Amino acid sequence: MRRQPLTDRRLTRRTLLAAALILVVIPATMLLGIFALNDRKYLFVSLLIVLYTMIPFALVFERRKPQARELIVIAVLAAIAVAGRAAFFMLPEFKPVVAIVIIAGVCFGGEAGFLVGAASGFVSNFFFGQGPWTPWQMFCFGIIGFIAGVLYKKGWLKRSRISLCVFGGLSTLVVYGGIINIGSVMMFDPVLTKEALLASYASGFWFDSVHAVATVLFLFFLSRPMIEKLDRTKVKYGLIEP
Amino acid sequence: MRRTAFSSYHPIVNFTYFAAVLVFAMLFMHPVFQAVALVSALVNSVLLNGRRAVRFNLRFLLPLFVLMAVVNPAFSHAGVTILFYLRDGNPVTLESILYGIAASCAYATVIVWFSCYNAVMTSDKFIYLFGRIMPALSLILSMVLRFVPRYRQQVKAISDAQKCVGRDVTQGNPLRRARNGIRILSVMTTWALENAIETADAMKSRGYGLPNRTSFSIYRFDGRDRNAFAAMAGLIGVVLLGAAFGENGIRYFPSVHVKHASPFGVAVYAAYFMLCMLPAAIQIVEELKWKSIASKN
Amino acid sequence: MEIYRIKELSFAFPLQDKHALSGIDLAIGAGEFVAICGKSGCGKSTLLRHLKPILAPHGRLSGTIHYKGRPAAETDRRTQAADIGFVLQNPDNGIVTDKVWHELAFGLESLGYGQQTIRLRVAEMASFFGIQSWFRKPVNELSGGQKQLLNLASVMAMHPSVLILDEPTSQLDPISAVDFLETVSKINRELGTTVILTEHRLEEALPLADRLIVLDDGAVIADDSPRRAGAWLHGLGHPMFASMPSPMRIYAGVEAGADPAAPSPLTVKEGRQWLDRRMNGVAGGANAAIGRKRELIGESAAAQGKKPESMPSEAPPAAAEGSQSVSADGAEILPSEVPPSAAVAESRPASANDLAFADDNRMPAGAMSGNLPGSAPAADVPQSGAYPANPAINEATAREARKSAWRLLLDKPVAAPAAAPAVSFKDVWFKYDKNGPDAIKDLSFEVKKGEFYCLVGGNGTGKSTTLSLMSGLLRPYRGKVRIDGRNPAALGADELFANLLAVLPQNPQTLFVKKTVELDLHEIFDGARLTKEQKREKVEAAIRFAELEPLLGMHPYDLSGGEQQRAALAKVLLLEPSILLLDEPTKGLDGFFKAKLGEFLQKLNAGGVTIVMVSHDIEFCARYGETCAMFFDGGVIASKAAKPFFAGNGFYTTAANRMARHRWPDAVTAEDVIARCDDSR
Repeated sequence: MRRQPLTDRRLTRRTLLAAALILVVIPATMLLGIFALNDRKYLFVSLLIVLYTMIPFALVFERRKPQARELIVIAVLAAIAVAGRAAFFMLPEFKPVVAIVIIAGVCFGGEAGFLVGAASGFVSNFFFGQGPWTPWQMFCFGIIGFIAGVLYKKGWLKRSRISLCVFGGLSTLVVYGGIINIGSVMMFDPVLTKEALLASYASGFWFDSVHAVATVLFLFFLSRPMIEKLDRTKVKYGLIEP
Repeated sequence: MRRTAFSSYHPIVNFTYFAAVLVFAMLFMHPVFQAVALVSALVNSVLLNGRRAVRFNLRFLLPLFVLMAVVNPAFSHAGVTILFYLRDGNPVTLESILYGIAASCAYATVIVWFSCYNAVMTSDKFIYLFGRIMPALSLILSMVLRFVPRYRQQVKAISDAQKCVGRDVTQGNPLRRARNGIRILSVMTTWALENAIETADAMKSRGYGLPNRTSFSIYRFDGRDRNAFAAMAGLIGVVLLGAAFGENGIRYFPSVHVKHASPFGVAVYAAYFMLCMLPAAIQIVEELKWKSIASKN
Repeated sequence: MEIYRIKELSFAFPLQDKHALSGIDLAIGAGEFVAICGKSGCGKSTLLRHLKPILAPHGRLSGTIHYKGRPAAETDRRTQAADIGFVLQNPDNGIVTDKVWHELAFGLESLGYGQQTIRLRVAEMASFFGIQSWFRKPVNELSGGQKQLLNLASVMAMHPSVLILDEPTSQLDPISAVDFLETVSKINRELGTTVILTEHRLEEALPLADRLIVLDDGAVIADDSPRRAGAWLHGLGHPMFASMPSPMRIYAGVEAGADPAAPSPLTVKEGRQWLDRRMNGVAGGANAAIGRKRELIGESAAAQGKKPESMPSEAPPAAAEGSQSVSADGAEILPSEVPPSAAVAESRPASANDLAFADDNRMPAGAMSGNLPGSAPAADVPQSGAYPANPAINEATAREARKSAWRLLLDKPVAAPAAAPAVSFKDVWFKYDKNGPDAIKDLSFEVKKGEFYCLVGGNGTGKSTTLSLMSGLLRPYRGKVRIDGRNPAALGADELFANLLAVLPQNPQTLFVKKTVELDLHEIFDGARLTKEQKREKVEAAIRFAELEPLLGMHPYDLSGGEQQRAALAKVLLLEPSILLLDEPTKGLDGFFKAKLGEFLQKLNAGGVTIVMVSHDIEFCARYGETCAMFFDGGVIASKAAKPFFAGNGFYTTAANRMARHRWPDAVTAEDVIARCDDSR
C-alpha cells in the first residue's frame, strides 16, 4: 500500500488550516482579549490559543476516517506512555512520555506522534485530575511528537540512538520546558512580565533538566527495542504505514 | 466519588455549566463576582467531594493563594498608591497587592471548579459529548482509558515476575533501578502490541470502519434536563448581558476603579450567584424531597 | 439450510511450504452446534478465521468456502459483521471500549443503527446474559468470566446467524468456563443460532455439541456425533482420544471393541449408569463382551499390566510432537519416552561425581549444573515404567523409589526430610488494605523438601496471595513465612532468587525480554559473574531439558501457549532453584502440552526440586501431584496425598472419581477406574 501522496496532501491541508488559524483566528482572539476583555485575561486567552492549535490535527484525522489499526496503534502507544508513568513510580520526575511520543512520531509519522502525545497528556489527567494545565500538557507532548515525525520525514532526524537522544533532550528542555513554563506563568502569575517568566524558568530548570535526562535515558535504552518491536508488528500484521 | 444530584443530569447540562463557570471565573475580576464564584465553588466542591475537598482546599489551595497574593506585588510595580519601597528600590503599590489578591482568587476558583468538574464530568460523559463531533478521537480516548488500567496491572505482573528472577526495581542504585524499569516497560510494550492486534481484529469483526457509524449513549435528555438547561441558559444570558453593560468591570491600574452597583448590577450579581449555586441548590432540593417522601412512606 | 459449505480448502501461510489447512471438506447446517478439536497448531483457529473472511489471515488459499450459498469472500462487510459473530480466545483482547454498556453497543454503532434500536438491543442482551447488575461498570472491574460473557453478548447484540468461538474458555477458571459454555448452549437451543466452537475443555463442551470435528495437521480426521467421533478416534488409536471426557475414555478402556454401535457414555451421569449396569452384569455372571474385548485389544491389554494406559491416553510426548504418530495403543509410546532421558542418563555418573552440591541441608537443584533432573525418570524406567500400573497403591512407593535412586546417585543421605521444611507457614495473616478483609487467615502448613505440593481451590480464596507471600512480594502482618528456614521478605532478591526459589508466573509472557528464545535465555545471566563458557553450558542444558531446540530462533510471542510455558520454565530453571513455585501453569494449555508439562515437573521433582503449584486443574493435580491441599477462605482446609485427597472429596474431585466413587472411592484417575474394572472381572 502506497499512501505517500495522501500523506502529503494531508500535510498541506493541515498546514493551510493551521496557517488560517495562526494568521486570523489567533490574532483575533488576542485582540478580543485586549479590547473586549480588558486585557490581562492571559489564562483564558492562552488556553483558547492552545486549544486552537490542536483543532487542525483533530479535524484532519477525523475527516480521513482512520482504520481500526491506526486507532489501535495510537491508543496503545498513548496508554503505554500513561501506564509507563506507573512503572516508574519509584523515580519521581523520571517519566517516559516524551520518549514514547518521539518514537511514535518517528515510526508512524507526525500526525500519529501528535495524537499520541495529546492523548497521553489528556488521559493521564483523567487519573491525576484535569485542570487548566491539561491543554498545555497536551499541546507540549503533541507538538514534540509532531516535530519528531516531520523532522524524520525530512531526514534531519535519524533512527540512530544519538540522533534520537539529542533531539529528545533538546525538545524536552526547550519545547516542553519552554512552553510549560510560559503556561505556568500564565496560570499562576496574573501579570506576564519578563521577570516572572525568568523566575519561572529558573525555578523550573531542575525539573526540566531531570525530565530531559530521563527522556535521553529512555531513548538511549528504549528506542532500539521499541522501534524493533513496532517494526515487527508492522511487518507481522501489516499494521500501519508511516 | 459520591453520587450527587447534579452529576445525574445529562452531560450537555454538566458540560455547559462547567464551561460557563470556568470561563466566567477566568474573566470576571470584579470583587463581588469573584467572591460569589469562590464561595460557590467551595460549597459545591464540599458537596461533591466531601471531607476530601475540605482537606484539599485547606492544605493545598490556601497556601497557594497566599503565596500568589504575596508574589505578585514583588514582580509588578504598576499603580499609583505606593505603600513602601522594597530593598532593591522598587515600590510596592496598593493596586498590585489588590490585583494580586484578585488574580490568585481567580486562579483558586478555577482550581476548585476543576475539582468539581473532575467529580462530575467522568470520562464517559466526555467521550459521549465528543463522540458526535469527533468519533474517531473519542474512540481512541475510550480505548486508552480501557488500556491504561489493564497496562498498569500488567506492569505490576511483569515487575513481580521480574523481581522473582532477581530484577527488583525497588532496590539497587538509581541506574540499576532505571534499567530494570526500562526492561519492564519494554516487556510491556511487546505484550501490548501483540495483544492489540487481536483487539483490532475484534473491532473489524464487529464492523468498525463501515460507513455511517452512529454513536450510542445511555444518556437521555429528559424534561428535567430541559428545565435545568433552560434555567442555566437564562442565567448565563443575564450574566453576559451584565458583562456587556460593564457591570462586572473593574480597573486595577493605574488606580483601582469599580463600577458602582446599580439595581441592574445587583440583579446580575444575583443571577451569577444562582448560576454558580445551581448544583448545590439541586442537591439540597432533592435531599429535602427525598426526606419528605421517605417520611411519608 | 446449509450455512457453510467448504470444498477442498487448503491454505498455507506466506513463506511457508507446509499447509496449515489441507483438503478440508465440510458442510455445516443451520442450527448445528459443532465442536472442533485438535491439538494446538492443528489449524483450528486458521479454519475458524477463514469462516469470517475479514479475519482470514494472509496466505495462499485454494478451494472454496460458501456462506449461505454464496462465496464467503464475496459477502459484504456489513453482512459479515452482523451475521457472523466471532468471539476471540482472550477475553481481554476482545473488548475495545472502557465501559460495559459502550462495549455492548459497539457493533451496533458500526452498523449504523439508531439510538432507539441500540437501546432496545442492548437492553435485551443485558437481560438475556444477566448483565444488568454490572451494566454501567468499567470493563477493568470485571472478572475474566464476565469479560468473556460481555464479548459474547456484544457479538450477539448484532443478531448473528452463526456464532464462531475460538477457544473461548481457555483463559477462564473451571466454574466460569462451565457457565460460559452453558450460555453458548442456551443461545444454540433457544435462539437456534448455529455455533461453531473450538475447545480444549472437551469434558464440558462435548455433551453440549451435536457434532465433533477433529483436525490433525490441517486435515479433518473425524467428523461425526461426539460419541461416534470419539469411538472412531479410539479405533484409530489417535492421541487426541486422550482429551476426550473421562467417561468415554473409561468406557473405551474397559469395553473396547464391545459393540461399536452401543453409545459410549459422555457425561458423568451416563458414565455412572453404564458402570452400574456393567458391574451388575459382571456380578451376575459371565459377560460375553469381556471375552471379546480381551481378544480384540490383544497385546495392548497385556501391556496394560506394566505400562498403564494413562501415559498414552494423557497424550504421550511422542505424539505431542505433532508427528503423524498413530500408535495403536500406549505400549508403543513407552520407548519413545526413553531416549531423551536415557541420553542424559549416560552422562550422569561422570557429572554426578564432580557435582557442586556440597550443601548439606538443601536438596540439590540439580537442574542446570549439567546433570539434568531429566535423568531421574530414566533411573526408574526399568523398575516400573514412567507411571505405576495401579497408582493408588503403588504411587507412594514408586515415588520414593525414584527419589532414593536419585539420592543414591548423588551420594546423599535419604534422611533429608529431617532438615528444615522447604516452605513453612505458621499462623500467617495477611490483608491488602489496612481496613480491608483478611486475604489469608491463620494459615499454617509445611511443604517438605522434595515434595510436589498442589494448592487447589476456587477463585479468590487466597491461593495466589500465598504464592506471593512465599516469594517475598508480600509480607504477612502476623505470623511467620519461612523458605528453607529463612524469611523471604527479609532476604534480598539477589539471595532469594539465586539457587533457592524460582517462580513461574501465571503469564509466561511477563518473563520474555528479548526477541528470540535463545537470546532470552541468555538474558537471565545479565550481570551474573560467570564465564561465557559457563553461561553457554547452562543454557544448553536448559534447552535440552525443556526441548526447546527447534524454537531457539523464534520470537517468544510467536510460540504457542505451551511452548511459551516451556521457554519460561527453562528460563527460571537457569536460576537453579531448589524450590519452584508455579501459578496456574496449565491455564490455556491443551491436553498434550499439559501432559508434557506434567512430565517436566515430575522430572524436576524427581531431581529433588520442591514444587509448589497453585491450580484450578483438578485432573492435572490428581495426575501429577504428590500432596494436595484444599484452599478455602484464606486457609488450608485439608491436605493429604493426592489420591486419598481426591478420594475423600465428593464434589471437588476428578470426573473419573465422580463417576466411580460409589464403587471405588479411591479410584481417582480414568486409569484407576479402568484398572478396577479389569480387576473386578
